[in-house]
Amino acid sequence: MKKSIIVTLFLTLVICALPFVITPFVLFMLTEVLIMAIFALSLGLIMGYGGLQSLGHSAFFGIGAYTVAVLSEHVTSIYILIPAAIVISCLFALLTGLIAIRNKGIFFLMITLAFTQMLFLFFRQSDLWGGADGLGTSIKPNLGFTELGSPLSLFYLIAAFFVLTYFILRLFVNSPLGKGLKGVMENEGRMIALGYNVKKYQMIAYVVAGGLAGLAGGLYIFKTQFASPDLFSVHMATTVLIMVFIGGLGTLFGPVIGAGVFIFLQNYISTMTDRWSLIMGLLFIVIVLYNRGGIFQLVQLIGKKLLPKKNVFAHKKGGTTIELNESGKAE
Amino acid sequence: MDLFTVNLLSGLTYGMLLFLMASGLSIVFGLMRIINLAHGSFFLFGSYVAYAMISRGMNFWLALLLSTMSVTILALLIEKFLISRFHGNEASQVLLTLGLIFVIGDATLWIWGGDFLSIPVPSLLDFSFAIGESSFPIYRLFVISIGIICAVLLWYFETKTKVGMIVRAGVDDMEMVGALGFNIKLIFSAVFLFGAALAAIGGVLSGPILGMYPKMEFEILVNSLVIVLIGGLGNWKGAFIGAILIGIIDSFGKIYLPDASVLLIFVVMIIVLMFKPTGLFGRVES
Repeated sequence: MKKSIIVTLFLTLVICALPFVITPFVLFMLTEVLIMAIFALSLGLIMGYGGLQSLGHSAFFGIGAYTVAVLSEHVTSIYILIPAAIVISCLFALLTGLIAIRNKGIFFLMITLAFTQMLFLFFRQSDLWGGADGLGTSIKPNLGFTELGSPLSLFYLIAAFFVLTYFILRLFVNSPLGKGLKGVMENEGRMIALGYNVKKYQMIAYVVAGGLAGLAGGLYIFKTQFASPDLFSVHMATTVLIMVFIGGLGTLFGPVIGAGVFIFLQNYISTMTDRWSLIMGLLFIVIVLYNRGGIFQLVQLIGKKLLPKKNVFAHKKGGTTIELNESGKAE
Repeated sequence: MDLFTVNLLSGLTYGMLLFLMASGLSIVFGLMRIINLAHGSFFLFGSYVAYAMISRGMNFWLALLLSTMSVTILALLIEKFLISRFHGNEASQVLLTLGLIFVIGDATLWIWGGDFLSIPVPSLLDFSFAIGESSFPIYRLFVISIGIICAVLLWYFETKTKVGMIVRAGVDDMEMVGALGFNIKLIFSAVFLFGAALAAIGGVLSGPILGMYPKMEFEILVNSLVIVLIGGLGNWKGAFIGAILIGIIDSFGKIYLPDASVLLIFVVMIIVLMFKPTGLFGRVES
């Protein structure tokens, strides 16, 4: 708890200071990075801590975005719009979770993908909310006492949500609930034997992740003021999956770093060539092939090389050292 | 009644195209425990290659053969250099194929552009027959019969040949098959290539009916996934029943419920999965 508060305060300080040292264009990109970081954090929660590989996480992002875009015609208060985006995404997570959580691994991946494609096709075909053309809005974040118009104030608003998300998730993964979730991922059979209701743990994580992705989607509308069916696309779901993988699974900072690296890469490469999609695919394959731990692990490895420490996972047994791998099995 | 027959046949045509795609997906899963997400890309790549050949004046049947072969070679390279490196690590294998979707998809966009393309119906089959007052193109009937022939061949291979016996044993216990002295890696490669070839045939045959356009692979992939989820993963029979079901539902949905037709197949999937999480013909995982 104490460490979480210190890390969060440090993060807040860095983010508050950032706009003074960067150009407006970088600020514009950083705003997007923070939105995608919330999105990637939510996926990182169920993938890195719950072991649930979802290829349909864009569903919640899209739902959050459309909730804000549709409701903004009637209400402007951010205190209604953002909670609405979160609640509706949570509800969708609850409903789809009832079917998806019953399955594991590849089945979970396929079912989440099917649900996302369902929403994508529905929003593209339906005339209800703009159809394939998407839905534009002129909403600006209305805090009740003032309306935020400048890019800088938008950055701070989104940064506040980001820090809050990070803090809550940090508490979540360190809580008994989060530890139980990780236990389910690492050894489901043992957790069942210990009397844990494993599906309940996965369900809670899935709903929390859905709500946070909905939050990211809602914030996205404040930035772009445009909701399109493409938000539900497999492309979007893959994008966030790649961010989590670039950054590193099983950490909270990983997905944040991943989102940053991804968006800066995307912006710079897109100015040079139209073949971003091809490069993104190749990048993803290379990451899967060579570096499963992502950038975060790479940094950790370099850190370990520079600061040699005693390996806490090495156990002495009969004079020989047995190294333990990630899953705790002796190699 | 005539309209009903025409719709039924259209649904069957679409179902058979999806069957060619989904059966490969399902067999590969049964043996290797991976879902090849790039399977839809094989389908689309096959039809683009055939388009390139036919638009330069090549015979339809020769183009069908050559594009199936080129997709098989592509699948061989992917299996050899990427997927086989992660033997036993299913999560990495699935994610690799996800990356491949974007690489293959963007490469086809680069080569053939983003326009809607279509392959002309081969002249041999370019006529229709009458059902009462409506007419139905003979080419679609041909596609249905190809689907049925493939199903019969799959049944024959699976139950009557030695190769089928090894594959069936592999679905049950791959390690045991290896211990008995069969080359598991070779069996994996062969089944993977066979699945890719089926997808390519489906892709070329769908050229005159569905056409080709960018991001089509996602639609085909998701429909096939829905089929194998409904039918049960790991065997072609589930894919066959599921494909017919989805094809017919899609066809009638477009007529009677045009607004909700895209949702219909997912509703069916949800209902099936609610009552039978492993699909209609799926086996309970231990």
